[in-house]
Amino acid sequence: MPELRPILLVEDSPRDLELTLAALEKCQLANEIVIARDGAEAMDYLTRGGIYGNRPHGDPTVVLLDLKLPKMDGLEVLERVKTNEQLRHIPIVMLTSSREEQDLVRSYELGVNAFVVKPVEFSQFFKAIQDLGVFWALLNEPPPGYAHHAKL
Amino acid sequence: MTETDPDLEACAREPIRVPGAIQPHGALFVLAGEPLSVVQVSDNLGDFLGGDVVPGQLLTGAWQALGEALSAWRSGEEGYFQTRIEARRLTVSAHRAGPLVVVEVEPAGDERLDMVFSRLRSFTEQLSAEPDVERSLSSVARFVRMLTGFDRVLLYRFDADWNGQVVAESGNGRLPSYLDLRFPAADIPAQARALYAANRLRIIPDVDYRPVALRPALNPVTGAALDMSLCQLRSVSPVHLEYMRNMGTGASMSVSILVDGRLWGLVSCHSAGPHMVSQALRETCDFVAQALAMRIGALARAEDAARRVTLGGVTSRLLSQMATAGDWMEALAVDAESLLAQVGAGGACLVTPDRLLAVGETPSGPQIRQLVEWLQAGPREDLFSTHHLAQMLPQAQAFAGSASGVLALSISRLHASWLIWFRPELVHTVKWGGNPHEKIRESGRIHPRQSFSAWQELVRCRAEPWSDAELAAARDLRSAIVGIVLRKAEELAELSSELQRSNKELEAFSYSVSHDLRAPFRHIVGFAELLREREGALDEKSRHYLQTISDAALSAGRLVDDLLNFSQLGRASIVPRPVDMDKLVAEVITSVMLTAGNRTIEWRVCPLPVGFGDATLLRQVWFNLVDNAVKYTRPRDPARIVIEGEARDGMVVYSVSDNGVGFDMAYVGKLFGVFQRLQRPEDFDGTGIGLALARRIIERHNGSISAQGVVDQGASFTFALPTTERKGRAFA
Repeated sequence: MPELRPILLVEDSPRDLELTLAALEKCQLANEIVIARDGAEAMDYLTRGGIYGNRPHGDPTVVLLDLKLPKMDGLEVLERVKTNEQLRHIPIVMLTSSREEQDLVRSYELGVNAFVVKPVEFSQFFKAIQDLGVFWALLNEPPPGYAHHAKL
Repeated sequence: MTETDPDLEACAREPIRVPGAIQPHGALFVLAGEPLSVVQVSDNLGDFLGGDVVPGQLLTGAWQALGEALSAWRSGEEGYFQTRIEARRLTVSAHRAGPLVVVEVEPAGDERLDMVFSRLRSFTEQLSAEPDVERSLSSVARFVRMLTGFDRVLLYRFDADWNGQVVAESGNGRLPSYLDLRFPAADIPAQARALYAANRLRIIPDVDYRPVALRPALNPVTGAALDMSLCQLRSVSPVHLEYMRNMGTGASMSVSILVDGRLWGLVSCHSAGPHMVSQALRETCDFVAQALAMRIGALARAEDAARRVTLGGVTSRLLSQMATAGDWMEALAVDAESLLAQVGAGGACLVTPDRLLAVGETPSGPQIRQLVEWLQAGPREDLFSTHHLAQMLPQAQAFAGSASGVLALSISRLHASWLIWFRPELVHTVKWGGNPHEKIRESGRIHPRQSFSAWQELVRCRAEPWSDAELAAARDLRSAIVGIVLRKAEELAELSSELQRSNKELEAFSYSVSHDLRAPFRHIVGFAELLREREGALDEKSRHYLQTISDAALSAGRLVDDLLNFSQLGRASIVPRPVDMDKLVAEVITSVMLTAGNRTIEWRVCPLPVGFGDATLLRQVWFNLVDNAVKYTRPRDPARIVIEGEARDGMVVYSVSDNGVGFDMAYVGKLFGVFQRLQRPEDFDGTGIGLALARRIIERHNGSISAQGVVDQGASFTFALPTTERKGRAFA
């Protein structure tokens, strides 16, 4: 049974945030949902910097990352995480409003774990968010080194 | 000369300046020292002067006065000394040769000089009235023959390579006509030409003369044989005499024509038998030749100026055509006459890597390409010209007939675009006056007929050289073309940078639309749904309103998606591969039927030929067509949909036909436009982009799509794709 590590949701749009939270709520996941409103805040959380300087050790079980963000956009966050030896194992799911070819290509180049276009249809959107939550929070087994690291 | 003759080879090396002998129609003695004493005499001197003038002695007695006159002349500036000794009817002329004074004595003629001068005056008047070089030459030939009494007078002209041509002639019929005859440069070797330039006049009164030796053979002052470069009595080469005999001439005289210091040509006179012309008349002929030379110089300059003006007119005509036409190459090729006249060419071509426009007589397309490749590899010069291409490019022998001469303008090195003119091989354009086979009775190893063949051999693969005026005109035309091409290139560059900017803007626009426009629709749908779930007790009407909000936002969202698909299609590159259409259609039908509910549809799907293109995009086409067919047959039970395909004429053609509501053919033109709908939206949903997208995809594949319809009976959509062999530019 994997520990209940939090889900990091990085989203600037309050409406999207509310919808996503509603969808995650429906999955009835026990995981804590940590919210970051821009890329810089997300990096602070992941690196235990800034306002997150005192948070307990431990990485999120998954990062749901919006592509368009103020300060530091999703692609930049992705790049920083995937080029950081300590953080690169953290699964990152890119959430985006549209299927822009160039974003898709760039994300996979940078090592994204999944790329999801938010469906317009609400039921589909709910389904997608729930599937993501369930998959990454419950089903996915992190690499062994990672589990070891988490216990420290 | 066609075959190497050792004697003729020797001719070119023969010491013609120091023959050691004179011709017998006069006598010669050489003076040196101060006072002048005799150091060398010709053996026949006594026949002319008696026995008074002997080596080792001063000029004394009857010759003392002459000696004093010569002494006075020697200390002066005059180049030549000349006098008459009336008592003995002799003419005496002298010139310097280093430390020596060479004196030549000849019998004076019996012509009346006052008559000669009056003729000369009327001749110079006539000459200055002649309108061109050609007529001036004829006029000189006639006058010299009349003056000297030779049987035939030829005007002989050298070209840039020192080949000769007879350009004018006057004769009494006793000797054959040589008009237009050509001679290779070797007929008059360089050393002979140098001598002709230094000493303008030569005469051989009798081809069968016996040379008269000088005594002593070596000049005692110089210790060498006498340099006779400037002597009129100089004995000539035996080879030359042989040549004269073979031509059937017994006497000859030639006068050099020097134009602007260069040996332009010769006045060449012949008689069948021996013929003497007095020193005074020879001087007159020299005067005539120099008057002609000045006339030629002036006329050549005037002709050059006139030619430049004419060519300038041609240039401006071509220019105005280019300026008004969209395509400068086309504009030049259309007016072939002016294009060829621009430089006096027989053919011309305009070449770029993907175009070749040729006018007049030119080599073949592949030969021109070969030439351009060679030019392109050559030095980076704007203008290249030659009248002997084969010498530089041996392969050019193959097309020497039409292009021995080449004048090439590089319009753009970068884009390998050239304007090239061609001139035919010269032998093709040469006329031969008279009938050489009948008239010329020649024998021996050297004669003019043989010279003509030798000349033909020599000038093979050569064209008439390009004149300075023509080269200048070509340069002018080039700068005009480059100006026009540059201007067009600038316009294009400006347009293209504008297009790039607007493309960038469009891309940015579509990117921002895709993110920012889509999100609100998602939010509307999402919150409407949340509201409905939360308020379980909504009445019918409220639920309808909520549903309408969702539906409206959903269709707007789909519209944005479709629009984005459509706009992205312009940017996506197509990677053509064989596509299994049977499989694609089966998948599309399955996917369309997912949303079709439990309708009854009778499918007839025939085996389809393999297509060629981008599978993802072609799938989109099939999807849109099949989805339409399903959609517009909704009122039918059963609906019938037929999918067929066949290969024909290098294309593969597919069609989707249905028995649905159809459409009025009057509106068929609108069917494939963006946002064009022929049905009311409440009857059939859709964004109005599906068919526009299908058409765009098919066109990106270099294919075509069309529709047939009858209202209330059905519609049929047909699209055709090229097969592999017909790759178009979209695939390039």
